[in-house]
Amino acid sequence: MIEKLSLVGFGAGGWGSLLLQAGLMTLAVSMVAFLVGLFVGTLVAWARISGSRPVRAFASAYVSVFRGVPDILVIYLFFFGGRQFLTAIGTAIGIQGPFEVSGFVAGALAVGLISSASQSEVLRGAYQAVPKGTIEAGSVVGMTRLTLFRRVIVPQALVTAIPGLGNQWQGVVKDSAVVSVTGLVEIMRQVAVASGSTREYLLFAGAGAVLYLIITTLSDQITRAAERSVRHGEKRKVA
Amino acid sequence: MRMTRSKFVKLMTAAAISVAIPSAAFSESPKKYVFVTGGDFAPYDMTNPDGTFYGFEIDLLRELAKRGKFDFEVRQMAWDGMMQSLMDGKFDAIIYSVTITDERLKVVDFSLPYTSEASSFAVEKDGGISVPTSGAKVNIGEADGKAFIESKVVPALKGKTVGAEAGSTQLNFVKQFLEPNGVEIRQYVGLPQAYQDLASGRLDAVVAADTSLADFVDKNKDTAEVTGPAYMGGTLGLGPGIVVRKGDTALLGPINEGLKQMTADGSLSELTKKWFGRDLSPTR
Repeated sequence: MIEKLSLVGFGAGGWGSLLLQAGLMTLAVSMVAFLVGLFVGTLVAWARISGSRPVRAFASAYVSVFRGVPDILVIYLFFFGGRQFLTAIGTAIGIQGPFEVSGFVAGALAVGLISSASQSEVLRGAYQAVPKGTIEAGSVVGMTRLTLFRRVIVPQALVTAIPGLGNQWQGVVKDSAVVSVTGLVEIMRQVAVASGSTREYLLFAGAGAVLYLIITTLSDQITRAAERSVRHGEKRKVA
Repeated sequence: MRMTRSKFVKLMTAAAISVAIPSAAFSESPKKYVFVTGGDFAPYDMTNPDGTFYGFEIDLLRELAKRGKFDFEVRQMAWDGMMQSLMDGKFDAIIYSVTITDERLKVVDFSLPYTSEASSFAVEKDGGISVPTSGAKVNIGEADGKAFIESKVVPALKGKTVGAEAGSTQLNFVKQFLEPNGVEIRQYVGLPQAYQDLASGRLDAVVAADTSLADFVDKNKDTAEVTGPAYMGGTLGLGPGIVVRKGDTALLGPINEGLKQMTADGSLSELTKKWFGRDLSPTR
């Protein structure tokens, strides 16, 4: 038993450092993907709330497509299609290709765009939960649109949005396993390689589960702290 | 550690630049071929805890490179994206126990086979399944091979559940011969999961390449065994070969030349004995 456990340790013959690297890769891909998702998601939510009719239609089509397509397909599109696309652009502006899309970029972009569709829905819902009266009151006292957004809409919308965004983040962490098809070694891939090389399937599956749990437990704490901080104003109101 | 804003911006800029690096910029240096493997298929290709690769295929590649005087490096990737990545030019060759089949030959080229890979069934010792051995390998492409399967294999496995790797030649084999005769087939993304299910009693048998099976049975001597003969030919194909892009004779030439030499001077046979415990070199 102890011998087996040393397989996931950091000593000689232990997979600890590779597993840790894989954990960091999962974290890195997830963070970039989540930020891509948040950025694009914000734009899409904005388009759906206040865009013209064609912009709204485009945004909701975008959401339908990226919510309805498996992430592995989107990754293939970027990883394999990206090269042809970039090379064609390069040739058009006179730069000799071929241009390679790195696995990290293709993977993070794919997972991020998939997540942007659901993140935009979370953000849109949060905006709609802001009482209209507060916005009207703001504009009556002469706030500019930017001030209104910063001082009235965001503080109230974040209260609703943060738990939902926390869920989105957890989803991104678990979805990030698909990037292994581009050659990146994240947790699931490292588990497959280690268990295939040592035939210790349960041990490494367990190690992988522990790594995911560490990431998600820590993120839970962060989400809760963020929730507490955005609810700060509410507490004062009640008191 | 807190990331400052400027650090973050630098990181993002670096990431953005790395999106598009013209690979032509590196073509001046001497050609170094990139071979991709899974690094998770004992004893063909495995990964060390320090991230380096070892196994039969890595030894073979080293020898082929020495004889063919080419430079190489090995990288890993999940099987799912491998063939498409090769065709897309993301690397130069696959050495991952890929069985030579007509279907695959339509889109890529293969080297000569480097083992005479046959396939067998592994079962749990107390599972009550037993297929007699016929002594020799059973060629499922021929009439007596088919007769053996009908009279010996089908009765032993009727009503049982057999696991195979999705997309494998072994899956085609059991789908063709066993599924129509009342044997349930279950597909697995990877053999490790199938072995796990066999050990936990959710499967009655696993069909896989001999070398992979032997390794599993070796590690589970008390509970698992191989039953019946080894099967080859027909849909099971010709054994594994190194995969290159269609028409890449510059790489395929030295590989095949090296394989021929190694077969002739017995070193391929030695190498298979070292890793598989018996001679698995192709007799062709």
